Amino acid sequence: MIRKALPFAAALVLALLPLGTQSTYLHHVMVLWMLYALLALSLNVIIGYLGELSFGHAAFFGLGAYASAILTMQTGVPVWLALIAAGLVAGLFGFVIGYVSLRIVGPQFAILTLGFGSIIYTVTNYWDDLTRGPMGINNIPPVTVPGVGPLGEARDYYFVVVACVLAFAYACHALMRSRTGRAFLAVRENAPLAASLGIDVFRTKLLGFVAATVVAGIAGGLYAHYLRVITPELMSLQYMAALIIMVVVGGRGTVVGPILGALIYVVLLEVLRAFGPLRLIVFAALLTGSVIFVPHGLVSLWRPWRRRADPAIRPEPAP
Amino acid sequence: MDWTLLGQQLANGVVNGMNYVLISTGLTLVFGVLRVINFAHGEFYMLGAFLTYFAMSALGIGYLPAVLLATVAVGALGILVNRLFFWPLRKEHEFTVLLSSLGLALLVTHGAELGFGHDPKYLNSPFTDDILEVGTIVLTQQRVLIFAAAVLVLAATYAAIRWTTFGRMMRATAQNPEGAALTGVDIRFVHTITFVLACGLAGLAGALVGPVAMIFPTVGSWAVLKGFIVVILGGLGSVPGALVGGLTLGVVEALAGGYVSLGFMEAIGYAIIILVLLWRPQGLFGSVAR
Repeated sequence: MIRKALPFAAALVLALLPLGTQSTYLHHVMVLWMLYALLALSLNVIIGYLGELSFGHAAFFGLGAYASAILTMQTGVPVWLALIAAGLVAGLFGFVIGYVSLRIVGPQFAILTLGFGSIIYTVTNYWDDLTRGPMGINNIPPVTVPGVGPLGEARDYYFVVVACVLAFAYACHALMRSRTGRAFLAVRENAPLAASLGIDVFRTKLLGFVAATVVAGIAGGLYAHYLRVITPELMSLQYMAALIIMVVVGGRGTVVGPILGALIYVVLLEVLRAFGPLRLIVFAALLTGSVIFVPHGLVSLWRPWRRRADPAIRPEPAP
Repeated sequence: MDWTLLGQQLANGVVNGMNYVLISTGLTLVFGVLRVINFAHGEFYMLGAFLTYFAMSALGIGYLPAVLLATVAVGALGILVNRLFFWPLRKEHEFTVLLSSLGLALLVTHGAELGFGHDPKYLNSPFTDDILEVGTIVLTQQRVLIFAAAVLVLAATYAAIRWTTFGRMMRATAQNPEGAALTGVDIRFVHTITFVLACGLAGLAGALVGPVAMIFPTVGSWAVLKGFIVVILGGLGSVPGALVGGLTLGVVEALAGGYVSLGFMEAIGYAIIILVLLWRPQGLFGSVAR
């Protein structure tokens, strides 16, 4: 009973979170958290469910951000339409790149996605006419909700993004309860065996990869219209590493893990400001420590406790 | 067609390529033996360059002794790194190890930024000012030194892997760690020495290339990305693959930078691996089965 109500309670708390404070700074941090949570959840489909490591995910995020920004600014398309277009553009690139690289697995796949990501980054950086190069694009119009007008405050923005996060989190949960989701896990655990059971391994992976890139593109669009300034640095190695850190430190292959990982990432970077130049060193040390001592992510700390509390829960297979 | 220019581009490409080979041989050895993609590999390149710089400025020794000292020191650092970051995780999932190495890379980069400062430094070498002319091609002596030292060290490494007892232990571990352990190979010792070798090679590369380029704390991520391209191109775990892959990348980059565009030069390396992997997913010299 309590276990069934818990996700709804958590979702409600998440949805109403900004009402607990008046501070616009905290609202801003919350919006960042939700944007990163959406990205981390989408990357989790590739890392956690398909079991492949992608270093190119930040590129799809950037593609979505640039697509949405350029569309609204150069053609005057309404923002909501541009956000859908951002998802489609990222998904199209995801389809082509996935079609090419998903034939390869393991470390080679990871580095191939790193390669595609770097090419997209380089092109964005040098195609001055379209992307304004390293200067980036600024004065991007904010999201406009029909009947409400443009969203000016971080708090209003939070509700838009949290709705996306909750919808996608539910979609991930539902996916894992479905036949397709079980096919994902079968492919992750043992691809040849999955193939022998009639699962089309390549198409299953491509489906997951494209879905993840579409959501990353939408997240990129939301990011662009929130911060209203974007630069090619969105696609840099630093962001790619940050996304992977969120997923793995939080707990790959779970719905809660990436959201938690995004929270930890955002909060740590803010809290560690007190350390000044030592900030990134402390951050890296915490990351390394958590990977070495809690290899299955912070979510895995919760499981033994829950099992002891409720002996009826059957032991879960190792993630 | 300007043949002098082409020859010069090719010569520069081969020298840069030898540098890539030095970096990526360590990366490929670590992958072959430990089955680990080491994201922190480039940091040893960076440390090699900076240790040479500080050995020269603080100890007041000449360039060549400083290179030797830096190489040995970075190699010795490999023992510590393996013990703390890689040996404890040897049975964990590959993502875990990869992230641990990524964390180590961030730690070293940011530590170096704090300790050495952000501003680029120049490594002085007595060989950068003198040139060597071969026909119409002009190379600084430093570049000749890079090439010669790389050839020498790589030949020694290759011979050691091929013909010594330790080399056989290493190859046995690469093929089947359990099987090797059962026949009495000390896996832990093999891992340690492989790491020392890999770090030493990366450090040497940094120490040698330092005088040709500027050195700064974030140069490690550049080095490791080049290393990745080369090992994927040549085939993960293959030493001849690293040689061919590194030279190919160096030459293609030099030609692309000379005739197409310097800006897109970085992307061209990736374009090559994408094409090669579509044709041979395991890389030029990689084997399909593990």
